[in-house]
Amino acid sequence: MNWKRFGFIALIIVILFGAVVLVGSVRQEPILIIASMLASTITVATPLTLGALSGIYCERSGVVNIGIEGMMLTAAFFGWLGSIYMNSIFGFDKMPSLIIGVLVAILSSVLMALLHAILSITYKVDQIIGGTVINILALGVTGFLNRQLFFEKGSIFGGNVPHAPGTLPIVHIPAQEAVSAICGWTGNSENCQLVAKAVGQVFDQQPITIAAILLVIVTHFVLFKTRWGLRTRSVGEHPRAADTVGINVIFMRYANVLIGGVMAGLGGAYFTLESVPSFEPGMTNGRGFISLAAMIFGNWTPFGAWAASLVFGAAQALQINMQLYRESIPAQWAFLQSSYVVGMVPYILTMLILTGIIGKTISPAADGQPYEK
Amino acid sequence: MLVYVLGFLGAVLLGTLAIVFFAVLAGKGKGTGQKSVIPPSAGSPLPTPSSAPTRYTFKSIIFSAVDSLLVPLLAVLTAILLGGIVIAVVGGDPFAAYKGLIQGAFGSAKALSETGVWATPYIFAGLAVAVAFKGGLFNIGAEGQLALGAVVAALIGYALPGWLGFDLPAIIHIPLAIGLGALMGALWAAIPGFLKAYTGGHEVINTIMMNYIALNITSFLMNGPMKDPSPTNVIARTPAIAESARIAPLFEGFRVHWGFILALLVAVLIWLLLQKTTFGFEIRMVGSNPDAAKYAGINVKRTIVLTMALSGLLAGLAGAIEVTALNYRHELGFSMGYGFDAIAIALLGKTNPFGVVIAAILFGAMRNGATRMQFLTMIPVDVISIIQALILLFVAADAIIRYIYRIKARGERVTLTRGWGG
Amino acid sequence: MKKLYLVVAVLVMAAMLVPACTPTAPDCTLPEVFCVGMVTDVGKIDDKSFNQSAWEGVQQSKTDGVADWVQYIETTDAKDYDKNIATFADAGYDAIVTVGFALGEATAAAAIAYPNIYFIGVDQFQAWPYDTDTANDIANLAGLNFPEDQAGFLVGALAAMMTETGKIGGVFGTDAVPPVWRFGEGYRAGALYINPDIEIFIVYHSDVGFDKTFTDPEWGAQTADSMIDNGADVIFGGGGKTGNGAVVEAALRGVYAIGVDTDQYYTLPEAAPKLLSSAMKLITPGVAGLIVAAKDAQGGGAAFPAGNYMGLGGYAPYHDLDSVVPADVKTRMEEINAGLLDGTILTGVSPVKP
Repeated sequence: MNWKRFGFIALIIVILFGAVVLVGSVRQEPILIIASMLASTITVATPLTLGALSGIYCERSGVVNIGIEGMMLTAAFFGWLGSIYMNSIFGFDKMPSLIIGVLVAILSSVLMALLHAILSITYKVDQIIGGTVINILALGVTGFLNRQLFFEKGSIFGGNVPHAPGTLPIVHIPAQEAVSAICGWTGNSENCQLVAKAVGQVFDQQPITIAAILLVIVTHFVLFKTRWGLRTRSVGEHPRAADTVGINVIFMRYANVLIGGVMAGLGGAYFTLESVPSFEPGMTNGRGFISLAAMIFGNWTPFGAWAASLVFGAAQALQINMQLYRESIPAQWAFLQSSYVVGMVPYILTMLILTGIIGKTISPAADGQPYEK
Repeated sequence: MLVYVLGFLGAVLLGTLAIVFFAVLAGKGKGTGQKSVIPPSAGSPLPTPSSAPTRYTFKSIIFSAVDSLLVPLLAVLTAILLGGIVIAVVGGDPFAAYKGLIQGAFGSAKALSETGVWATPYIFAGLAVAVAFKGGLFNIGAEGQLALGAVVAALIGYALPGWLGFDLPAIIHIPLAIGLGALMGALWAAIPGFLKAYTGGHEVINTIMMNYIALNITSFLMNGPMKDPSPTNVIARTPAIAESARIAPLFEGFRVHWGFILALLVAVLIWLLLQKTTFGFEIRMVGSNPDAAKYAGINVKRTIVLTMALSGLLAGLAGAIEVTALNYRHELGFSMGYGFDAIAIALLGKTNPFGVVIAAILFGAMRNGATRMQFLTMIPVDVISIIQALILLFVAADAIIRYIYRIKARGERVTLTRGWGG
Repeated sequence: MKKLYLVVAVLVMAAMLVPACTPTAPDCTLPEVFCVGMVTDVGKIDDKSFNQSAWEGVQQSKTDGVADWVQYIETTDAKDYDKNIATFADAGYDAIVTVGFALGEATAAAAIAYPNIYFIGVDQFQAWPYDTDTANDIANLAGLNFPEDQAGFLVGALAAMMTETGKIGGVFGTDAVPPVWRFGEGYRAGALYINPDIEIFIVYHSDVGFDKTFTDPEWGAQTADSMIDNGADVIFGGGGKTGNGAVVEAALRGVYAIGVDTDQYYTLPEAAPKLLSSAMKLITPGVAGLIVAAKDAQGGGAAFPAGNYMGLGGYAPYHDLDSVVPADVKTRMEEINAGLLDGTILTGVSPVKP
């Protein structure tokens, strides 16, 4: 990940935002549009970022993981289920239920990761097959259990979906207050207060979103500044060499795949415990695959993957906001009114970016290869 | 009958033309292609045994047939046993469920016909993914290639007579619709192939991206330019294709159509292509060890583009056949995840064309029989996904099956994944 | 190894202990046994949307003693519509409910092929062949439709009267589905009827496949969020779980929410405190009513209401917000409702997206 690449990513996000600001500025303060888009960009990027981090841990240690989608879906379901059980059956309050829900989500995803690890490390099953197994299994198990538990009469909740405890509350970071205080010192202009409001909007995020950003930093530190990271990378690049210097290749791979499971689990919890208090079969809707793309896009680095996730987030924000201001689109740009046209922009951009403008991506050398002593 | 033979030949001809077209296109890059885009780190360090062309003797075929059938068979049985336990645990009757499943899939002539209907797109799409795997490429984009193939086939099917101003005979119209649909799939898949070969863009990302682009293009066309304009139509779909573009059913009164036979023929052709031709050898060589392939004088870049084009051709065929033989139009909402099921089918078939056919029929039978199972026992169809995942799991981790049933390992390992680098 | 066998044996035994509680189906071919089957559109029976509402109607007919046996089949692919309908027809079912406009043609074809079975097509124009001449109707086929444009118009008017910012939002599934389009455009028309200068954000989730458009609550919530960030203070969520995501998000963010299909005060308790009303489309009683009609017709009673059958729609009570909604708004809503019913107010929404 180099500065050139970050520059390109930043440019794209600016272009996407700029398009909406151009169209929407007739009806709304640009600063508020930007704040709104930035806030939703960061939120939408959360599961993608966590999914990509999951991929980074797995692949840096040499295990390809295309089962992130399935791991997230499993976590989304079981986390939601856990929070409901805690809340409705064991009578816990909202917050403890949600926290236990997040833990259950992580645990279920780790179990899926363990399955992947056993298959691909111990049994040396082709790793793409292992991932595909997880994806199909997750879809079947969550769909089946969701039906059995919540729909069929005579099921535990009598065919009614019980009252979910809700979603994780926003963590208030006093950014708005801070900016507004600065405004106070500098003449307290109306524009300055507007900026303060916008900043507040961007900084008020829910816990998993904040955790995702912190985990990006932590992952960067772990991978590139610690012995653990060095060992992980050596196992992913030259397992044999690593083995000869006494690193336990099998252990390192298991451990990293399970850490990947934790990341994907948190990403899954985002769907049912942070975004909306309900589960829907297949609700991850391919975001696990997008996060794989983000990981590769970011050249297997945490910051790169995060930046790439933000591009996808920005693209969704664009797609939503373009429709909000559809009426203000000038006639000569009428084709932009079609949500289909706007809908494909991010994907075309991604492909363009990947065509080597920003240099090649290089995967860990032993990625996907089982290790045999 | 003659119509279909000729139609089939026409499709093959067009497909070949497409391949030649890409060969020429890709060949132009030869001069600049001297510097390797394949990073030195990529690829397996050792050539896998499967990369060398195997000599087939009668004995080896029998041996490998027994070995390669026994384990999958046991895998399927074990998965079904476990699936039965899952059904029983939630209070269902596994015997009734499986009875329903088998009845629905094979229990009558109509059931068999419907299984064939389901299996047809699965065979094509499974072959598409399998061919890409053989070439060391992971085509997640079969879904998009299939959809666009279907759109083009529908367009040719309903609009071409109007453009020309006269009715076409079926003998020309059918191959044209299928062929151009397949060609569209090939073109669509060749783009990520091209990007991979010449810019190093990952086919995995690019095919995912192109799935979304294809989806948006299809939605746009179905809701706008290609929407059936008749006042009675309320759905985002094309007009019905002309009679002359329709492939007939195999038997009167049943829905299974000549496309199924075509699928079987194509599977044989793909096997011949992969095993008996230079191009097939090149695909496998590039797939198993691109570095060695390069030193052996194979144009790796061109092979990558062609492999993807071939893969897309097959996926496009899947879509085109669904339109011309079954639905007679393209409709939004059609094609729910054939592309993703195809990955599982290709893996289950161990990327062998015949294996793919068997896996596709198995998956088709399960999807088809699931309706009757649900009808008889109220057991949700999601159980099928669980069983499919278990089958894939046991087939893939044959070590588990070999351990349970004490079967000695024999034969070669199929290596698909070489990471993302190659 | 022995352990594994033991585990399997224990599991099998445990499985046998679980009583097989699946009731066996009666013989539906017998004339005295009245069986009702339902075929879903591509989607799940538990979609908390049209499939589920229709199924609840079918189940209600069993609870009420109208039907002796009810059963459903979930369609997994559009090519199976005919097959799934035929599965019921061949088993001797007496009435078959098909759900969704996409099954319209398959249902009409089946009604002709099986003249002794009554067909109920939910959200389908079934005045065959789509004309007003009742002589052309298929005698055993009723298309159950709803005045979604009027329901949308009512809640649009309510939203326009309740907004303080002058901005309202609506989050919908794909506009390629006619009922969704009617809800969305009815909402717009109703809001403009009250206040021609009102700012309306309407977003359809058309950029994904049909299988995702109604099942993407996270997208719905995100879209509602954007609207609220842009100043909207009433959000109408229409379209399965996608809309539900928007409704719940709006309530959690503290702005007014408007539900869809049923009175969502009861189905979305998370949103109840801020739920202004719901644009109702009463599928459940509509389906149950037509099943009663089918049984009557089979028994030689009143003729089956063939052709297009208009179900009930409207707006739900204010519930918790009853004290918040001003009296003049309530009066105005009643006037508009009356106007829509007697035809003095027209929504001006075409049945299908042009």
